[in-house]
Amino acid sequence: MADEVTRKAVSEIPLLKTNSGPRDKELWVQRLREEYLALIKYVENNKTADNDWFRLESNKEGTRWFGKCWYIHDLLKYEFDIEFDIPVTYPATAPEVAIPELDGKTAKMYRGGKICLTDHFKPLWARNVPKFGLAHLMALGLGPWLAVEIPDLIAKGLIQHKEQQNNS
Amino acid sequence: MAADWEEIRRLAADFQRAQFADTVQRLSERNCIEIVAKLVGDKQLDVVHTLDGKEYITPSQISREIRDELYVHGGRVNIVDLQQIIHVDWVHVESRANDIVKSDKHIQLVLGQLIDENYLDQLAEEVNDKLQETGQVNIAELCKNFDLPGDFLTEVLSKRLGRIVQGQMDQYNRGVIFTQAFVSRHKARICGLFSAVTRPTPVNNLIGLYGFQEHLLYSVLEELVSSGRLKGAIVGGRQDKAVYIPDIYSKTQSTWVDSFLKQNGYLEFDALTRLGIPDPVSYIKKRFKSSKLLFLRAVCVGHAIVDQLEASVEEAVNSGTWTDLQPMLPSCLSPEDIGILVNQVMRTANVHSSARILSSTVVVSEKFIGNCVSLFDDFMQQRALKEIKNNPVFLITEEDMKQAAAMVESTSSSKKDKREEQRRKKATEGSGSVKGGGGGNAREIRIRKTKKKGRRDEDSDEETGTAPQRDRNKQMEVPFMSLEEVTAVLEKHVCDCPEEMLSELAEHIMRPLTKMYQEVVRTVFMSSTKATSGASRKQSVKDLQEEINNLCHNIRLFEKGTKLFSDETQANISKHILKTVCSDVTNILLNFAAAEFMVAVESPSSITNEVRVKILGKLPEETKAPLMKLHNSLNGKSIEDFLTNVDPAAEACGFMLKKGDKKRERQALFQHRQALTEQLKVTEDPALVLHLTSVLLFQFSTHCMLHAPGRCVPQIIGTLVGRISEDQQRLLSSYQALVVKQLVSQSKKPARAQEDADAGTEEGDEAEAVRKELLSLTNEVKDLVLKPRKTSVNDD
Repeated sequence: MADEVTRKAVSEIPLLKTNSGPRDKELWVQRLREEYLALIKYVENNKTADNDWFRLESNKEGTRWFGKCWYIHDLLKYEFDIEFDIPVTYPATAPEVAIPELDGKTAKMYRGGKICLTDHFKPLWARNVPKFGLAHLMALGLGPWLAVEIPDLIAKGLIQHKEQQNNS
Repeated sequence: MAADWEEIRRLAADFQRAQFADTVQRLSERNCIEIVAKLVGDKQLDVVHTLDGKEYITPSQISREIRDELYVHGGRVNIVDLQQIIHVDWVHVESRANDIVKSDKHIQLVLGQLIDENYLDQLAEEVNDKLQETGQVNIAELCKNFDLPGDFLTEVLSKRLGRIVQGQMDQYNRGVIFTQAFVSRHKARICGLFSAVTRPTPVNNLIGLYGFQEHLLYSVLEELVSSGRLKGAIVGGRQDKAVYIPDIYSKTQSTWVDSFLKQNGYLEFDALTRLGIPDPVSYIKKRFKSSKLLFLRAVCVGHAIVDQLEASVEEAVNSGTWTDLQPMLPSCLSPEDIGILVNQVMRTANVHSSARILSSTVVVSEKFIGNCVSLFDDFMQQRALKEIKNNPVFLITEEDMKQAAAMVESTSSSKKDKREEQRRKKATEGSGSVKGGGGGNAREIRIRKTKKKGRRDEDSDEETGTAPQRDRNKQMEVPFMSLEEVTAVLEKHVCDCPEEMLSELAEHIMRPLTKMYQEVVRTVFMSSTKATSGASRKQSVKDLQEEINNLCHNIRLFEKGTKLFSDETQANISKHILKTVCSDVTNILLNFAAAEFMVAVESPSSITNEVRVKILGKLPEETKAPLMKLHNSLNGKSIEDFLTNVDPAAEACGFMLKKGDKKRERQALFQHRQALTEQLKVTEDPALVLHLTSVLLFQFSTHCMLHAPGRCVPQIIGTLVGRISEDQQRLLSSYQALVVKQLVSQSKKPARAQEDADAGTEEGDEAEAVRKELLSLTNEVKDLVLKPRKTSVNDD
């Protein structure tokens, strides 16, 4: 399980109710609406806690999501693009987030830059279908991964700080 | 459906918006403070934090806020208040305020308050309003009102004087601003008031009374006085005790002093002080430099009075009378001053040696005193004669007199003398014990006389009046007259003198008088003794010799009589004889001896043992020794001793003692018997009757004279046993018993008197019976002696 801060953040994200995937025309809209509300809440919470760390947007149908995330290490901000699709079996299956930039740089990653989520994320997700949504994915999946991998990668010199990314 | 998507789109937009909204830059307070502190420390940031630590503020903001606050507060604000308003540390406020004051010359920092020109102008206007209203304002008062330092206010106001403040400042006292109108009003008032003042007035009182401004008053007053508008002077400068003395007052004062001196011839310092002259002596000295004034303690006296006094004193001295200076002296003089003045007069008149001062004001010439003394000459002579006649023993000594006082009293015939004697006795006794200070008093009197200090208070006068009397009595041997008597005589002869003077005069001449009197007494006595030493003295010597002879003879006979008794009785009878007849002989001898040396007593019989010793002490050696022996033998037991001593003693006195012969003896016996029988005839007292009878019977039976005391009667009767008939014997013894009984009852009586009254008359009856029996027996007993007289005469 993740650290205290994460857990607290997760607990403040509203849980979802509608159990439907992109294929269910009517219910998907409802699900999508709940996803958005949860995300908004999560982002707002992050902002108030001075813990804003990603940008995310979706296509019109809400099936494909892209954006960027960043991590601050040694007073330097490292920024990466992220993208993922909503699987057809969603919400039973969690989406696989990919950071194409880091493809091939770390072992904890699948082909195509998809991050290798921790062992206990999947059972956790499975236990919480359909209550977990995208916001939870970000908070419990990507966030901890970044916190673990990025410093390691920086220490290995696999990631260089980009001058132009020095803006908050 | 479309609406749903619409909603999704809107939510997506919201989401984007939420993501792109500013993230809150959250720093913890602690961090913030540290960051800022670091920045300030690195001099990268110039801010100060507020007192509660919640805000930072830049110095320029502080400056702006200070200026704003200053404006809001009307141009004057306290830095402390500022600090509370701006809420930053006082140091910053102060430094900013200082910066402001430095940079802006319209703003000043006074007493920790920022004040700008506007405020000062406003203040000046306010002051002006007040000034116009009251006529003057006091800077000190303004200081209190505006709570600003006086110097600052003075400076500010003087800058605005004439521009905003319409008035002027006092030249002497810069603490006051006034209007011209006020000044002139004041001046007019002062001028009026001080013109009206006619006597010295403390300026302070006037200030209090009329509410003048003190500073203004003095400057105006000085101006007026110096310009001559006010005629007067200010004494005491510009202080509390300053006094305004108008010229008119000093003028009247000096005219009063002048006229008083001219009229009365003296000046009293007290009066001058009352007039308000603080130092009269120096004032007088200054004013009357030329005229010679005599300065006394409380008065100074003019020449006229002194001259007058001198003249009268001289006149009194020259004419040999007296004069009382009192009427000529100013009445206000104290006794002390009178003393000084009179002494001065005496000195200048040069009559110290020929005049005396009595009762402090009376000058008496010595001539006059001499006259007074001579008044007593006749009187003295008379008195001396009387004195000699009465009690020549006065010439012994004072101590003698004390011891023999009782005796002398009985001898002194004149009533006056007696009184005097008593008084003197008391005095001598008193002076010894009660008044230890008698001597001191006497000295005091003498001092008083020589110094002529005048009277003290009455009490001491009285005391000292009697004290010297005592002392004098002690000192002098012969008193003359009491002070009162002398005074009385003087009063008779010297008319219209004050009584005090008389008594003092009397006191004064008391000593010479007593001395003279002593002299007179001595001469009178001498002459009298000389007179008696002529023919009459020879006669008296003869008489005396006869008497002594007789007495000695008797003593021898008595001695013979005593030998018939047992030892004890013999001693008793001897003692009795020594005490009576022998003492008489000694006294006569002594008195005779004393008479030769001018110490004699009227009746020799009254000389007691002590007096004898005294007289003995006065006698010359050759007569003293035998007489002393004789005197000592009186205290012995044996008559023989006495008899052996009599002869040399008598010889020393120039008498010849004849040896006794039979004829004389018989004659003496007869005389003695005759005397006893005469006595017996007249007596009624049983005890005496018994005594005489027994003595007579003894003489009859033994042909020896007996001189025995009463208590030896039983022994006498005892010796008679066998020499008289038994009847007589019985009668005598029974009578004796009765006499004893009566005597016993009589001695009991006083003790028993009470008892008798209670316990009936049994004892009284008994006494009565004894008395009756005695009465009846008395004649029989008398007859015992009186009847056989014839036979005995026949026998002879």
